Amino acid sequence: MRSFLGFAVLLLVFWGAAFAGPRENNLVIGATQEPDQLNPWEGAADTKENILALFFIGLTYFDTRGNLLPGLATEIPTFENGRLRVYYDDAGQFLRQEVDWTLRPDAYWSDGKPITTADVLFTFEVQSHPLIPVTFRTFSNMVERIIVKDEKNFTIVYNAPNPFYANPSGRIGLARFYDVAPKHIWEPIFRAAIQEAEAQPEKAAEIITAKFLGADPATGRDPAKVVGSGPFKFVEWQKNQFIRAVRRPDFFLKPPGPEENYVQEVIVRFITHEPTLLAALFAGELDATDDIALSGYDPNVLQARLGPAFRVEAVPSGFIEMLNFNHFGSDLYGPEGCSVARDLLLHDPRTRQAIILALDREALAEAVFPGARVTNSFVVRGDIGYNPDLIQWPYDPEAAKALLAELGWADTDGNGILDRITPDGRKVEFRLPHVTTPAPFRMRAQELMMEYLAEVGIKLEPTNLPAAVLFSTEFINRGSVCSWPGIIQYAAGGGIGEVPADEISGELWADDPRTPEPLDNVPRRENGFAGSNIRGWVNPEYDRLHFAALMEFDLARRAEIIKEMQVIFNRELPFIPLFERVEILVAKATLVNYVSMPIARTPFWNAWMWGWEERGAVRVY
Amino acid sequence: MLAFLIRRLLVAVPTLFLISVIVYALLALKPGDPIDELRFGNPGFTYADYERLVKLYGLDRPWYVRYWYWLARAVQGDLGPSRRYGLPAGEYVFRYRLPNTLLLSGLAAFLAFLVAVPAGVICAVYQRRFVDYFLTTLNFLGLSMPVFWLGIMLIYVFSVRLGWLPAGSTHTPGLVGSAWAHFVDRLRYLVLPVFVLSSLQMATWTRFMRSSMLEVLNLDYVRTARAKGLTEGTIIFKHALRNAVLPIITLAALTVPSIFSGAVLTETVFNWPGMGRAIYDAIIANDYNVAMAALMFISVLILFSNIAADIFYAVVDPRIRYD
Repeated sequence: MRSFLGFAVLLLVFWGAAFAGPRENNLVIGATQEPDQLNPWEGAADTKENILALFFIGLTYFDTRGNLLPGLATEIPTFENGRLRVYYDDAGQFLRQEVDWTLRPDAYWSDGKPITTADVLFTFEVQSHPLIPVTFRTFSNMVERIIVKDEKNFTIVYNAPNPFYANPSGRIGLARFYDVAPKHIWEPIFRAAIQEAEAQPEKAAEIITAKFLGADPATGRDPAKVVGSGPFKFVEWQKNQFIRAVRRPDFFLKPPGPEENYVQEVIVRFITHEPTLLAALFAGELDATDDIALSGYDPNVLQARLGPAFRVEAVPSGFIEMLNFNHFGSDLYGPEGCSVARDLLLHDPRTRQAIILALDREALAEAVFPGARVTNSFVVRGDIGYNPDLIQWPYDPEAAKALLAELGWADTDGNGILDRITPDGRKVEFRLPHVTTPAPFRMRAQELMMEYLAEVGIKLEPTNLPAAVLFSTEFINRGSVCSWPGIIQYAAGGGIGEVPADEISGELWADDPRTPEPLDNVPRRENGFAGSNIRGWVNPEYDRLHFAALMEFDLARRAEIIKEMQVIFNRELPFIPLFERVEILVAKATLVNYVSMPIARTPFWNAWMWGWEERGAVRVY
Repeated sequence: MLAFLIRRLLVAVPTLFLISVIVYALLALKPGDPIDELRFGNPGFTYADYERLVKLYGLDRPWYVRYWYWLARAVQGDLGPSRRYGLPAGEYVFRYRLPNTLLLSGLAAFLAFLVAVPAGVICAVYQRRFVDYFLTTLNFLGLSMPVFWLGIMLIYVFSVRLGWLPAGSTHTPGLVGSAWAHFVDRLRYLVLPVFVLSSLQMATWTRFMRSSMLEVLNLDYVRTARAKGLTEGTIIFKHALRNAVLPIITLAALTVPSIFSGAVLTETVFNWPGMGRAIYDAIIANDYNVAMAALMFISVLILFSNIAADIFYAVVDPRIRYD
C-alpha cells in the first residue's frame, strides 16, 4: 500500500512537464491579459493586437526598424509609384485622395480560399454599418467609396486628407485590426444578425454583440470558423487559460531557410496574476512573456534572477507617463471654471514650470520605472517628428521657488506650505490634489513627488481611484466642474509614425478651425462634456499646426510642423511629461526574432520568423 | 413542514427581486461604463465614437429602464450576452466558470470535511493533551495565514524551487495522451489550490467540531453511557458524535454557496478560472450581464441553502418542528 502511494505521488509530481520549447519546436508565451474576442472590428487594443497578429496580417505592417512593408498588398502605394494621388481645386482646396491597392496573388485564408477584393468590400461594409459598434470611425469616415477593379485590385477614395493611408491598425479605414476579414465566414452571420437587430431595434446592440461580434469566428467555439490571413492557424481557445495555434505552411511570408526549423506551434497562456506568471517563468513553464505582462519590473533584477538562459530587454513602449493639469481655472472659462485650479494658478505656465523644476524626474523614473527615460516632449524618441532641441527641464528647486514667488506665493505663516491672497481677498494654501490609479509604481511616484514638492512649499495631496473610475467619462471629462481639481496622472501613447493622429496629440488640441463650434475638443457643460482635451489647455497656434500636420502628406514637412508643436508644448507644459515608459520583454536566449519596438506595435508582428537556434532558426532581428 | 416550506419559498421571491434591483443599481451607478475602457489604447477613438457607442448600447437610458429590460429577459431565461466575450452570459458563467469552481471548491470542502471531523473529535477526546495542542496550533496557523501568502509560498517551494507541481492554471495546454494522462495532469494542477483552499475550512470546521464534541461529552447521557459500562468507542462514535455533528451540518449547508461562488484570492493566485474571479473581473470591466448572472445565481443559492439547512436540521434532530 505504501509503495503504491509513493508511486502515485511520484507519478503526480513528475508527470511530464509538457511545456517544451526547443525540444518540441513550440513556443509558450505568458500574458497577463486576454483578448475579449477575435473579431477585427471592435475591442481594446494591446493584447488583442498581439493575439490577432498570429491569425491575421494587414495590407501593410511595420518592422522594428521602422520600415513600412507590404503584407497582403503587393506594394506600398506612394506618389512615386503612382498608386497615391491627391487632387486639389484651383484654390488649393482638397478635393479627394485616391489610393490603389493590389492584393498578393498568393494570399489565402487559412481554410484555403483566396483573399480577394470581395473580402475588402465586405470588411468595409461592416465597418461602416451604423448598427455595428466598431471601436472608432476616425479613418473609415474619410473613405468616400471603394472602387473594385477586379479580384485583386481596388482603389480607396478618401473625402478628407489621410496621410496615414497605408499605416496599420485601422488607419487605412477598413477595419480596426488587420484591414481584411473573410467574407465567406462572416457574411452569413452579419446578414442574419443585422436582420434580427433591425427587427428589434431596442435590443440591436445586444443582438449584434451576441450574434455577430461574439459569433463562433470570434469566440473560437468552433475552431474551423476562426479563419485568418496570418502566419498561424487557430487550434483552440480555452477561455481564461490559453490560445493554441499551429504554423500555416501556405502563408506567403517565409523565414530564411527551411520552414521546419522555425516554431511550429504557439501557445499563449493567460496568467492574470503577475507573481504567478513570474513563478511559471522561473519554473520553466514559459519560454517568453508578452510586452505587457511584466511592465514596471526592473529588467536588471529580472535578468539577474533568470540568468543567462533568458534574455530580458527593456524596449520603448511608445507611452509617456504624465502629470495632467486642470486648466479650467483660466479666464477663458469665466466664473464657471474650476475654482480650486484657479486659486492654485494651474492655468499659468509658470506654475507648471515651477513644478517640473521641483521634480527630480531622473531619480523618480529610476525609482519607480527602471529603464524608463525622462522626456520633455509629447512625442516619443524614435519618431521622425521628435524634436531633440527642446528645453531640457532640469531639477532645480531654487528656480522653482523663484517662479512661485513671482506668482505671489509665500509661506507667511511658517507652516511649510506656500500661501497667497486671491484677488477676492481669500488666503489660499498651495495644497495640490493629485489623483491616479493604485498601480504600485504610481503610488510610489506619489510618495516621492510629495517629498520633492514639499521642498518648495507645495503640499501634494494624493488620492487613488480604480482605473475603471479614473478613466470613466463621468470623472475624467469633468475637470471643468472640478471632478479632479489639480493633477491627474496616467500614461498615453505618443504614437510613433502616427503623430499628430496619435493619442496624446488628440488630447492636446482644443478648437478645430474648420468648424464653427468653439473649443470642440474641450469637455465642458456647454457641449455635454464631449471631447478629448480633458485638461482644457487652449493654444490657437498649436491647434493651427496640429491641423496643418494632419493634412500634410510630405513626411519631412510634417515632421517640421510637429517639431514646432513640441516647442509650444515644451514651453507651456500643458502636462508634465515624466518619462517614456518601457516594456519588458523576456524570452529564452535561444529564441530568435522575438523582438518589439513601438513602431511595430506588437512583438507578435513577425510570428512566422520565430524559431529556436537549437533547431537551426536564423536570427534576423 | 410543508406550510413552512411554502412560506419560505414565497418570501424568497420578493427577496430575490429586491436583491436583483439593488445589485443592478449598484453596478449601473458605479462610475464608468463598458465604453470607457475603449478610449485608452485606441488612439483614433474620439468622443463622437464614445457617444455613438453609448447610444448604440442603450447606456444613455436611466438604469431602471435598463434594469427593466434585463429583468423582462431574465425571467425568460435570457441573461443577455457578455459584452466582453460576446458569449451568452449564462453560458460563460455556467459552462466556462462554474465547473472549475465546483471542482476546486467541492474537492477542498470534501477534503476539509474529511479531515476536520476526525481531527475535531480527536482534539475533544484528548483535550489538553499533546495531540490537542498540536492540532489546535495547526488550526491557528490555518486560520491566521493569509490565503494569498500561503499560495505564493507553496508555488515558490513546489513549482519554482522543486519543480514538482505547476504554478497555476487548470491543465497543460495541448497535452497529448490517454484519458489517464489527462486525469493525472488535472490532478497535478489541483493539488496546491485544493490544499490552500481547504486549509482555512479545515481549521474552522475542526474548531467547531472540537467545541461541539466537548459540549456533548460533558452531557448527562454520555455519563450514563459510561456508567452502563459501554466501551469508549461506542460512546464516542455511536452516541456523542451523532449529536455533536449537528452544528457541522448547518455549517456545511451554509458553505454550499461558497462552493459555488468561488474564492477570489485562491483563484487569482493559482490562475484558476472560477466564479470568484469571473465576478470580480465582470464588475471591474463593467460586464453587467455576466456580473448579474453570477451574483443572482449566488443569491439564489444562499437563499435555498438556508432553507435546506433548516430542513436538514429538522430531519436530523427530531426535537425540531416547523409548525
